[in-house]
Amino acid sequence: MRPAFTTTQGVMSPDPRPRRRLFDGGFFFVLAIALCSGTGVLVTQGWERFRDILLSDLGLALLLLPKIAAGVLLATALALVLPKDKVLRHVGPESGIRGLAIAATAGAVIPGGPAVTFPLTLGLMSAGADLAAGVAMVTGWILLGLNRTIVWELTFLPPDLVLLRVLLSLPVPILLGLGLRAAVRHRARRQAE
Amino acid sequence: MNILIGTILIWGAALWALAHLNRTAPEARPELYRRATETFLFMLPRLVVGLVGAGFLAALLPEAFVQRWLSAQSGLQGILIASGFGLLTPGGPFVAFAIGASALKAGAGAGALVAYITAWSLVSMVRTLSYEVPLMGRQFTLARVLISLPAPILLGLCASLLF
Repeated sequence: MRPAFTTTQGVMSPDPRPRRRLFDGGFFFVLAIALCSGTGVLVTQGWERFRDILLSDLGLALLLLPKIAAGVLLATALALVLPKDKVLRHVGPESGIRGLAIAATAGAVIPGGPAVTFPLTLGLMSAGADLAAGVAMVTGWILLGLNRTIVWELTFLPPDLVLLRVLLSLPVPILLGLGLRAAVRHRARRQAE
Repeated sequence: MNILIGTILIWGAALWALAHLNRTAPEARPELYRRATETFLFMLPRLVVGLVGAGFLAALLPEAFVQRWLSAQSGLQGILIASGFGLLTPGGPFVAFAIGASALKAGAGAGALVAYITAWSLVSMVRTLSYEVPLMGRQFTLARVLISLPAPILLGLCASLLF
């Protein structure tokens, strides 16, 4: 655990993230997938296609860097700025279905792609939201994101089918959150025994 | 263009949060920059490798192939196959919708389509690898993906019963 940090508002929480090595299993997993699929493209589609994809995705990464930098800054700052007591009350582990619904709604209405929603979720979780609320927020965004549904989905798919998908998906963020909370409780009980 | 708008929006939000911190707890700033730099450096190699890997994966999965499979199967088997393809379909806001639309024209059922879109939304490997693992960490990602896995199948079954 890292040392707590004292501010005028009281004690800033210790850094919740575990200590990480720069190159760990997660990195090597992503690397292995890139190497395998890269080899696959090289063998089946030739060097030129391989080079084109590599260059265009490196360009995309470069283009995304300023956004990611801002996302990281936002997530880190939110963890320090958001009032912990309020975050805990509204989307903490004891916030019940209402907390999960708040998180899912936030995920659904906040515009922006992964570089926005993931940092926001991270910031909220560092400020007291539990894993279930974090998952409900991410799920709300990916299943019910208004922006994506209105702009893209309705362009391509018939409206009655879109409506059916959205209606069926409505309870999913909350159900996943409830499932995770039950799993966390179950684990805690088992560890206590 | 989308990237530019997003970048401006999120910089605005980040600067607002920084200004707020400056007013309320200016002495926390060094710690903020230390944590942010550390996280950024941690993410950087993962994001780059993830995006490149995602690009290669996408090239290996021809759209016509997915569309044919989506429309050829029906019932539970169709829903299971559709969920699997959703997992593999690369990100981008419209790729899966476009594939889904053409599969629908070719005769895919509502169940398969809903399963496909839901699986692609929830557990698209490409978005998961290039963004979620680097940003949220393996533990969060694993928990979220595992608990999400039954959803595409269940939603697909409900849709095929209702539609």
